[in-house]
Amino acid sequence: MRLRGGYNIAVTGRPSREVEVLPEPDVLYLPLRSRRFAFTELCVKDGQRVRSGAVIATDPKNFGVPLLAPREGTIRLDASEGHVVIEGARPAAEQQYDPDTEIPHVPKDPGEADRKRRQLLALGAWEFFSDAHTGTLPDPFGTPRAVIVSTLQLEPFQSRGDVQIRERLAEFTRGLEHIQSLLERRDAPVGRLRRATGTSLHQPIHLVVPRVNSRLAAELQERLRGYAWVNIVQVPLRYPFDNFRLLARYLKLKPNPEEPVWAVRTGGVLAVDRALTRHLPCTVRLVSLGGPGVMDPKHLKAMPGYPIDRILDGRLKDGTVRVLNGGGLTDAVLPPGQLGLDVECSGLTVLPEHTEREFLGFMRPGFDRVSYSRAFMSCVLPIALRHSTALRGELRPCVSCGYCEEVCPAGIMPHLIHKYLYRDGLEEAEAARVDLCVGCGLCSFVCPSKIELCRQMLDAQQRISRELHAQEEEDS
Amino acid sequence: MRKLYDALQRFRPHFEEGGRLQSLKPVYDATESFFFAPLAVTVETPHLRDALDLKRFMAVVVVGLLPCLAAALHFFGLRLLAMIFVSYAVGGTIEVLFAVVRKEEINEGFLVTGLIFPLTLPPSLPLWIVAVGIAIGVILGKELFGGTGRNPFNPALVGRCFLAIGYPAAMAGNWLKPGSGTLGRLAQYVDSSSINAISSATPLSAAKQGVFASLPDLFWGNVAGSAGETSAIAILVGGIILVVTRVASWRTVAGVLLSFALLNAVLHRVNPGAFAPVVWNLCAGGLLFGAFFMATDPVTSPFSNGGKWAYGIIIGAVTLLIRSLTGYVEGVMFAILLGNIAAPLLDEAAVRIRLRRLRDEI
Repeated sequence: MRLRGGYNIAVTGRPSREVEVLPEPDVLYLPLRSRRFAFTELCVKDGQRVRSGAVIATDPKNFGVPLLAPREGTIRLDASEGHVVIEGARPAAEQQYDPDTEIPHVPKDPGEADRKRRQLLALGAWEFFSDAHTGTLPDPFGTPRAVIVSTLQLEPFQSRGDVQIRERLAEFTRGLEHIQSLLERRDAPVGRLRRATGTSLHQPIHLVVPRVNSRLAAELQERLRGYAWVNIVQVPLRYPFDNFRLLARYLKLKPNPEEPVWAVRTGGVLAVDRALTRHLPCTVRLVSLGGPGVMDPKHLKAMPGYPIDRILDGRLKDGTVRVLNGGGLTDAVLPPGQLGLDVECSGLTVLPEHTEREFLGFMRPGFDRVSYSRAFMSCVLPIALRHSTALRGELRPCVSCGYCEEVCPAGIMPHLIHKYLYRDGLEEAEAARVDLCVGCGLCSFVCPSKIELCRQMLDAQQRISRELHAQEEEDS
Repeated sequence: MRKLYDALQRFRPHFEEGGRLQSLKPVYDATESFFFAPLAVTVETPHLRDALDLKRFMAVVVVGLLPCLAAALHFFGLRLLAMIFVSYAVGGTIEVLFAVVRKEEINEGFLVTGLIFPLTLPPSLPLWIVAVGIAIGVILGKELFGGTGRNPFNPALVGRCFLAIGYPAAMAGNWLKPGSGTLGRLAQYVDSSSINAISSATPLSAAKQGVFASLPDLFWGNVAGSAGETSAIAILVGGIILVVTRVASWRTVAGVLLSFALLNAVLHRVNPGAFAPVVWNLCAGGLLFGAFFMATDPVTSPFSNGGKWAYGIIIGAVTLLIRSLTGYVEGVMFAILLGNIAAPLLDEAAVRIRLRRLRDEI
């Protein structure tokens, strides 16, 4: 497959390269749920004093990934529903990794690679990994087929991939070395046999970098010159070419539950380095604060549990806003009850709520409208592009304009699948490869008829696996 | 503006459930959303949406038609406005009736059909025939199939085709001679009763007698013909707006014009008597208007890129063959309707090829 489609939405409110270190908080609100994790097994008691880096809870369904205390303080379990609250939080010397720590749900294994993997899991670095095909947390002790490391982050208003790597190139390359050291093939033949079969000792690491000429790119390539095990993959700087499912398909890595493809971004590689070089817990993350509702979009150094009110206080423009936990195209609204950043938060996006009814809006020149088509004057002279939560039109029947097909990075035909699903043709939708949809949201974004194409396709994927495939299994 | 909004809000309760005018809710909604952009917000991912909606999409087509409209008013006079009024009034009423009965919203597609239809007609056509044509076009060409987005044929062309067959004398008998001078017929109103004195042959019918209109006349539009089709320059200006804004597909336009030009170039060498020179033939008749404004209707043309090329090639080639080898002087209308018939088949073939390629994707 070649990389096709994709579209960079013109935005104002993209985070700048500036990184602000947030002031130390007094109280931390650690959510017990995040997109992938549910930390249901508590390891602390109410009122207990914990050290920085101590395990507060674990997720038994996800290989026991721990929720670590980012700061020293006193635990309050009932102070806020769905959160563990750390009161009187203060920075203190972080607890170094103790290899003899007992981790629930994880078998002990004497191998060198397994020892490192245990360390990654215990120090919170494993949470940065995902399965490229399913997006779930991969088994830390499984054998991956390959690793995709992406330096890109292309969703509008999200963290820029180059912010972290710019200052910490040495740590990044050392992190890559650490990842490589995890990957010894257990079944690899030895000696002459290996040479004869051409099997390599390690699974490949694909490092995805933007196809641009910049000093940073040149420096990175220079540093990695001697790393024969890193396969540098250059992709155009266009959304959503940072999507791991798409990249796996591009690299011809077929989905295989036995041998998953690990995926990790820059932040994850740096976390691996911190965990395996300095043996310290990974509790501080770089989160973006972007969107047109923010006065000064930038990056923030914050820890999970950091009070969201304190982050947003004094940084928002006037008017009602919608805060998203992530980027503007794929991520959901921040749940109203969530008080602190969760462990997977990559950024907050703030969109002004749409409240204004424009007079004869469709007849205006549109210097401020963002559009894939060139039907507004903004294509010639973009002045103060506006984004809000407006649907910007009414639901209408599909007119087969074909925009969704043009932007679709998966190479499928969203409008055709929509028509199949409209007449309940689930099998036809399956034949049209609705399963290849990566959920990037571009089809719904560009649709002039305002049809929720992306949602319909993701729902169809679920229905297909539930109804059609369950039926097949029953029959067999 | 504020007053209009307040007035609309005051009437709203009458159209809500339980109100006296509840059945006319689609009319109220259409009026309100015409003046004031809707308040709807996104409820799920993606939280951002493109500013383009169908109203703007159709408004761009209307803007693209404005140069043709201006040229038509200049050459054929104010009567065209009456034809446009009848077309919008009759077609709009039918659209509203169907929306009310179906309890659906009124779609914007009619903004285009109502304007494009009179531009395809002889400028002196009796107004009642215009009314019959648009009624047939909207009912048979669109509403019977379920309305906007589901029609297999271009509604304006269905209406025109009905008139061409049903009223051949009115449709092809007398063609108004275009006005000359700076003002043209801008200040005149020429109707069917006074046309006999100032009629003239269209370039294509004159060419069958061996008389060729001059190329500059064809280019500027100073020839007899359907209201919007005569001025090549006006069509090109409007057409390029449509292609640049991505509202019309360049593939369809290129397919029509290239196939027509290439086939014409070859056949003109073989038989110069039957086939006119390429550039002259491109500018004469309704080919340009059809290629830019009628063939590119996204609903009735294929959606696949390959299908669009094939569709364009069919239209271009068939137009040339009908024009040059049959008793009809013009073939664009039949060629596009034929293309509409072929469109689903072309898409089916393109989809099959595409899905075969996708089948083995991981």
